[in-house]
Amino acid sequence: MIDTVAGVLLVFGSALILLAGVGVVRFQSVFARMHSAAKAPTLGILAIAVGVALSVRSVAALVTALLVVVLQLVTGPVGTHLLGRSAYRRLPNDFDAGDELASNEGSGLDH
Amino acid sequence: MIVAAFALLALAGICFMVRLFIGPSVVDRVIAVDGLLMVITCGILVEVASDDSVAGLDTVLVVALVAFVGTGVLARYVERRGA
Repeated sequence: MIDTVAGVLLVFGSALILLAGVGVVRFQSVFARMHSAAKAPTLGILAIAVGVALSVRSVAALVTALLVVVLQLVTGPVGTHLLGRSAYRRLPNDFDAGDELASNEGSGLDH
Repeated sequence: MIVAAFALLALAGICFMVRLFIGPSVVDRVIAVDGLLMVITCGILVEVASDDSVAGLDTVLVVALVAFVGTGVLARYVERRGA
């Protein structure tokens, strides 16, 4: 029973990673691709880590899976924010509804 | 179950490789490499779950840390040098 739940969690997490991959290939702008690559895999890694902890059932596996999840939850948004800021400042952008960030804080290109 | 998880991860890896090849800017390629490292992380985790060997778990932590540091350094590079 527990092994079945663990297997379902592993497949669910892998499907979320695949969803991120499809989004990264299919989306049209840099920020849409970044959005796809940042959000779905967080839940995917969480599900896979829970599946590993349910499948192995030892203290070392539990602690390491917890560390992996915490590390992903902390570093994922930070890395994506760094990348998004550099893309906003250095890449030519064509936003659909105008550049609200630039109109809010002056020109966004000088720093 | 394990085979299905590995197959889904392999398809995800192919998707990220496609974006790595065709990505028009450096930022797209950084996103693709980040996703590939995520696929590697999940693949090691699934492998640990499949044969109950705890040895791969340390590798998972190292890969996740290297992915974060690499993304940060490359973002800083793009910001200083232009894409």
